[in-house]
Amino acid sequence: MAEQRIATTKVAGTWAWFLQRLSAGLLIILLAVHIYLDHYAEVGADITVGWVHQRIGQLLYIAIDYSMLALVIFHGLNGSRTILFDFDVFAKRKKGVDVALWVLGIAMLIWGIIVLIPFIKG
Amino acid sequence: MKIGSFKWLFGRNSEFWPTNMKIGMWAWVGHRITGIILVIYIFMHLAFLSTASSGGAGFENLMKTTAQPAFVLMDFLLVCAVVYHAMNGFRVVLFDMGIGIRRQKLVFWVMMAISLIIIAAAFYVLFNAGLFKGEWF
Repeated sequence: MAEQRIATTKVAGTWAWFLQRLSAGLLIILLAVHIYLDHYAEVGADITVGWVHQRIGQLLYIAIDYSMLALVIFHGLNGSRTILFDFDVFAKRKKGVDVALWVLGIAMLIWGIIVLIPFIKG
Repeated sequence: MKIGSFKWLFGRNSEFWPTNMKIGMWAWVGHRITGIILVIYIFMHLAFLSTASSGGAGFENLMKTTAQPAFVLMDFLLVCAVVYHAMNGFRVVLFDMGIGIRRQKLVFWVMMAISLIIIAAAFYVLFNAGLFKGEWF
Protein backbone atom coordinates (compact mmCIF):
# COMPACT_ATOMS: atom_id res chain seq x y z
CA MET A 1 0.00 0.00 0.00
CA ALA A 2 2.66 2.51 1.06
CA GLU A 3 4.98 1.48 -1.79
CA GLN A 4 2.11 1.82 -4.22
CA ARG A 5 1.37 5.36 -3.11
CA ILE A 6 4.97 6.56 -3.19
CA ALA A 7 5.56 5.06 -6.62
CA THR A 8 2.38 6.62 -7.98
CA THR A 9 3.13 10.00 -6.42
CA LYS A 10 6.49 10.06 -8.20
CA VAL A 11 4.87 9.87 -11.62
CA ALA A 12 1.55 11.56 -10.91
CA GLY A 13 2.94 14.39 -8.77
CA THR A 14 2.24 15.73 -5.29
CA TRP A 15 -0.42 18.18 -6.47
CA ALA A 16 -2.38 15.37 -8.11
CA TRP A 17 -2.16 13.46 -4.84
CA PHE A 18 -3.18 16.44 -2.69
CA LEU A 19 -6.02 17.67 -4.92
CA GLN A 20 -7.40 14.11 -5.13
CA ARG A 21 -7.76 14.12 -1.33
CA LEU A 22 -9.20 17.65 -1.24
CA SER A 23 -11.80 16.88 -3.93
CA ALA A 24 -12.58 13.60 -2.16
CA GLY A 25 -13.37 15.39 1.11
CA LEU A 26 -15.63 17.92 -0.62
CA LEU A 27 -17.34 15.21 -2.68
CA ILE A 28 -18.16 13.10 0.37
CA ILE A 29 -20.12 16.05 1.80
CA LEU A 30 -21.69 17.22 -1.48
CA LEU A 31 -22.61 13.73 -2.71
CA ALA A 32 -24.17 12.84 0.63
CA VAL A 33 -26.43 15.91 0.25
CA HIS A 34 -27.07 15.22 -3.46
CA ILE A 35 -27.90 11.54 -3.15
CA TYR A 36 -30.08 12.07 -0.08
CA LEU A 37 -32.06 15.06 -1.40
CA ASP A 38 -32.42 13.85 -5.00
CA HIS A 39 -32.92 10.15 -4.55
CA TYR A 40 -33.98 9.35 -1.01
CA ALA A 41 -35.79 12.28 0.66
CA GLU A 42 -38.77 11.97 -1.72
CA VAL A 43 -38.25 8.38 -2.78
CA GLY A 44 -40.86 7.08 -5.24
CA ALA A 45 -41.79 10.53 -6.58
CA ASP A 46 -42.33 10.88 -10.33
CA ILE A 47 -39.15 12.49 -11.59
CA THR A 48 -40.00 15.20 -14.10
CA VAL A 49 -38.12 18.26 -15.31
CA GLY A 50 -40.43 20.38 -13.15
CA TRP A 51 -39.71 18.25 -10.08
CA VAL A 52 -35.97 18.61 -10.52
CA HIS A 53 -36.44 22.34 -11.23
CA GLN A 54 -38.05 22.90 -7.80
CA ARG A 55 -34.65 22.26 -6.29
CA ILE A 56 -32.16 23.19 -8.99
CA GLY A 57 -34.03 26.38 -9.86
CA GLN A 58 -32.51 27.85 -6.69
CA LEU A 59 -29.18 29.64 -6.91
CA LEU A 60 -27.68 27.69 -3.98
CA TYR A 61 -28.32 24.33 -5.67
CA ILE A 62 -27.08 25.59 -9.05
CA ALA A 63 -23.82 26.48 -7.31
CA ILE A 64 -23.73 23.14 -5.44
CA ASP A 65 -24.48 21.06 -8.55
CA TYR A 66 -21.96 22.82 -10.78
CA SER A 67 -19.27 22.59 -8.08
CA MET A 68 -20.06 18.91 -7.76
CA LEU A 69 -19.82 18.50 -11.54
CA ALA A 70 -16.36 20.11 -11.69
CA LEU A 71 -15.13 18.19 -8.63
CA VAL A 72 -16.42 14.82 -9.78
CA ILE A 73 -14.89 15.21 -13.27
CA PHE A 74 -11.56 16.20 -11.72
CA HIS A 75 -11.63 13.40 -9.14
CA GLY A 76 -12.69 10.75 -11.65
CA LEU A 77 -10.19 11.67 -14.34
CA ASN A 78 -7.35 12.30 -11.87
CA GLY A 79 -8.06 8.87 -10.38
CA SER A 80 -8.05 7.34 -13.86
CA ARG A 81 -4.72 9.07 -14.45
CA THR A 82 -3.25 7.38 -11.38
CA ILE A 83 -4.47 4.00 -12.65
CA LEU A 84 -3.05 4.66 -16.14
CA PHE A 85 0.36 5.61 -14.70
CA ASP A 86 0.58 2.20 -13.03
CA PHE A 87 1.06 0.84 -16.56
CA ASP A 88 4.40 1.52 -18.23
CA VAL A 89 2.75 2.20 -21.58
CA PHE A 90 1.04 5.28 -20.15
CA ALA A 91 3.71 6.30 -17.62
CA LYS A 92 6.12 6.71 -20.54
CA ARG A 93 3.65 8.99 -22.30
CA LYS A 94 2.81 11.30 -19.40
CA LYS A 95 2.36 14.48 -21.48
CA GLY A 96 0.05 12.75 -23.95
CA VAL A 97 -2.09 11.28 -21.17
CA ASP A 98 -2.31 14.67 -19.44
CA VAL A 99 -3.34 16.49 -22.61
CA ALA A 100 -5.94 13.81 -23.46
CA LEU A 101 -7.43 13.92 -19.95
CA TRP A 102 -7.56 17.74 -19.89
CA VAL A 103 -9.36 17.80 -23.23
CA LEU A 104 -11.78 15.10 -22.07
CA GLY A 105 -12.33 16.85 -18.73
CA ILE A 106 -13.07 20.25 -20.27
CA ALA A 107 -15.40 18.64 -22.83
CA MET A 108 -17.26 16.84 -20.04
CA LEU A 109 -17.49 20.06 -18.02
CA ILE A 110 -19.01 21.95 -20.95
CA TRP A 111 -21.37 19.00 -21.65
CA GLY A 112 -22.40 18.91 -17.98
CA ILE A 113 -23.04 22.66 -17.87
CA ILE A 114 -25.26 22.46 -20.98
CA VAL A 115 -27.11 19.36 -19.76
CA LEU A 116 -28.35 21.07 -16.59
CA ILE A 117 -29.73 24.18 -18.31
CA PRO A 118 -33.23 22.75 -19.06
CA PHE A 119 -33.57 21.84 -15.37
CA ILE A 120 -32.45 25.29 -14.23
CA LYS A 121 -34.91 27.01 -16.60
CA GLY A 122 -37.70 24.58 -15.61
CA MET B 1 5.85 -7.03 -21.25
CA LYS B 2 5.07 -10.43 -22.72
CA ILE B 3 1.96 -10.25 -24.82
CA GLY B 4 -0.42 -13.13 -24.17
CA SER B 5 1.06 -14.00 -20.79
CA PHE B 6 -0.24 -12.23 -17.73
CA LYS B 7 1.03 -14.87 -15.28
CA TRP B 8 3.31 -12.31 -13.63
CA LEU B 9 0.28 -10.14 -12.94
CA PHE B 10 -2.59 -12.56 -12.26
CA GLY B 11 -0.90 -15.97 -11.85
CA ARG B 12 -0.66 -18.16 -8.76
CA ASN B 13 2.47 -16.42 -7.50
CA SER B 14 1.31 -12.91 -8.29
CA GLU B 15 0.16 -10.25 -5.86
CA PHE B 16 -3.34 -10.44 -7.30
CA TRP B 17 -3.95 -14.16 -6.78
CA PRO B 18 -6.82 -14.14 -4.24
CA THR B 19 -5.06 -16.24 -1.58
CA ASN B 20 -1.99 -13.99 -1.79
CA MET B 21 -4.03 -10.87 -1.16
CA LYS B 22 -4.14 -9.36 2.31
CA ILE B 23 -6.86 -7.05 3.55
CA GLY B 24 -5.20 -3.81 2.39
CA MET B 25 -4.81 -5.26 -1.09
CA TRP B 26 -8.49 -6.24 -1.26
CA ALA B 27 -9.37 -2.71 -0.15
CA TRP B 28 -7.12 -1.28 -2.87
CA VAL B 29 -8.53 -3.54 -5.60
CA GLY B 30 -12.08 -2.71 -4.47
CA HIS B 31 -11.27 1.00 -4.54
CA ARG B 32 -10.03 0.78 -8.13
CA ILE B 33 -12.95 -1.33 -9.35
CA THR B 34 -15.57 0.93 -7.76
CA GLY B 35 -13.61 3.96 -9.01
CA ILE B 36 -13.74 2.74 -12.61
CA ILE B 37 -17.46 1.91 -12.26
CA LEU B 38 -18.16 5.42 -10.94
CA VAL B 39 -16.24 7.10 -13.79
CA ILE B 40 -18.33 5.11 -16.29
CA TYR B 41 -21.42 6.14 -14.33
CA ILE B 42 -20.58 9.86 -14.65
CA PHE B 43 -20.85 9.48 -18.43
CA MET B 44 -24.17 7.63 -18.07
CA HIS B 45 -25.46 10.24 -15.64
CA LEU B 46 -24.71 13.09 -18.06
CA ALA B 47 -26.13 11.10 -21.00
CA PHE B 48 -29.38 10.45 -19.10
CA LEU B 49 -29.74 14.12 -18.12
CA SER B 50 -29.01 15.23 -21.70
CA THR B 51 -32.35 13.72 -22.80
CA ALA B 52 -34.02 16.76 -21.21
CA SER B 53 -32.32 19.09 -23.70
CA SER B 54 -34.80 18.14 -26.43
CA GLY B 55 -37.92 18.76 -24.36
CA GLY B 56 -39.03 17.14 -21.12
CA ALA B 57 -40.88 14.16 -22.63
CA GLY B 58 -37.80 12.09 -23.46
CA PHE B 59 -36.37 12.58 -20.00
CA GLU B 60 -39.64 11.79 -18.29
CA ASN B 61 -40.13 8.57 -20.29
CA LEU B 62 -36.58 7.54 -19.38
CA MET B 63 -37.27 8.22 -15.69
CA LYS B 64 -40.39 6.01 -15.88
CA THR B 65 -38.25 3.21 -17.29
CA THR B 66 -35.66 3.61 -14.54
CA ALA B 67 -38.41 3.33 -11.90
CA GLN B 68 -38.63 -0.42 -12.71
CA PRO B 69 -37.25 -2.75 -10.01
CA ALA B 70 -34.28 -3.96 -12.11
CA PHE B 71 -33.10 -0.35 -12.48
CA VAL B 72 -33.75 0.39 -8.81
CA LEU B 73 -31.52 -2.59 -8.00
CA MET B 74 -28.75 -1.13 -10.19
CA ASP B 75 -29.30 2.21 -8.47
CA PHE B 76 -28.88 0.46 -5.13
CA LEU B 77 -25.66 -1.24 -6.32
CA LEU B 78 -24.43 2.19 -7.39
CA VAL B 79 -25.04 3.47 -3.86
CA CYS B 80 -23.04 0.48 -2.54
CA ALA B 81 -20.13 1.41 -4.84
CA VAL B 82 -20.27 5.09 -3.84
CA VAL B 83 -20.44 4.32 -0.11
CA TYR B 84 -17.60 1.79 -0.29
CA HIS B 85 -15.44 4.16 -2.36
CA ALA B 86 -16.15 7.07 0.02
CA MET B 87 -15.50 5.13 3.23
CA ASN B 88 -12.39 3.36 1.94
CA GLY B 89 -11.17 6.69 0.55
CA PHE B 90 -11.65 8.20 4.01
CA ARG B 91 -9.53 5.34 5.37
CA VAL B 92 -6.78 6.12 2.83
CA VAL B 93 -6.82 9.80 3.85
CA LEU B 94 -6.56 8.82 7.53
CA PHE B 95 -3.49 6.70 6.74
CA ASP B 96 -1.97 9.55 4.71
CA MET B 97 -2.27 11.72 7.81
CA GLY B 98 -0.60 8.97 9.84
CA ILE B 99 -3.77 8.07 11.74
CA GLY B 100 -4.55 4.41 12.43
CA ILE B 101 -1.80 2.76 10.35
CA ARG B 102 -0.80 0.49 13.22
CA ARG B 103 -4.39 -0.66 13.51
CA GLN B 104 -5.06 -0.73 9.79
CA LYS B 105 -7.15 -3.91 9.86
CA LEU B 106 -9.40 -2.54 12.60
CA VAL B 107 -9.79 0.75 10.70
CA PHE B 108 -10.80 -1.20 7.58
CA TRP B 109 -13.49 -3.15 9.41
CA VAL B 110 -14.80 -0.04 11.20
CA MET B 111 -15.15 1.67 7.81
CA MET B 112 -16.89 -1.40 6.39
CA ALA B 113 -19.27 -1.47 9.38
CA ILE B 114 -20.15 2.21 8.76
CA SER B 115 -20.62 1.44 5.04
CA LEU B 116 -22.91 -1.47 5.86
CA ILE B 117 -25.10 0.70 8.11
CA ILE B 118 -25.47 3.37 5.39
CA ILE B 119 -26.15 0.73 2.72
CA ALA B 120 -28.73 -1.01 4.93
CA ALA B 121 -30.47 2.32 5.54
CA ALA B 122 -30.56 3.00 1.78
CA PHE B 123 -31.97 -0.47 1.09
CA TYR B 124 -34.62 0.00 3.78
CA VAL B 125 -35.77 3.30 2.26
CA LEU B 126 -36.02 1.80 -1.25
CA PHE B 127 -37.69 -1.41 -0.06
CA ASN B 128 -40.10 0.43 2.23
CA ALA B 129 -41.19 2.70 -0.62
CA GLY B 130 -42.11 -0.46 -2.58
CA LEU B 131 -39.60 0.20 -5.34
CA PHE B 132 -38.67 -3.45 -5.65
CA LYS B 133 -42.30 -4.45 -6.26
CA GLY B 134 -43.78 -4.87 -9.72
CA GLU B 135 -42.54 -6.09 -13.10
CA TRP B 136 -38.83 -6.87 -12.98
CA PHE B 137 -38.20 -7.01 -16.68
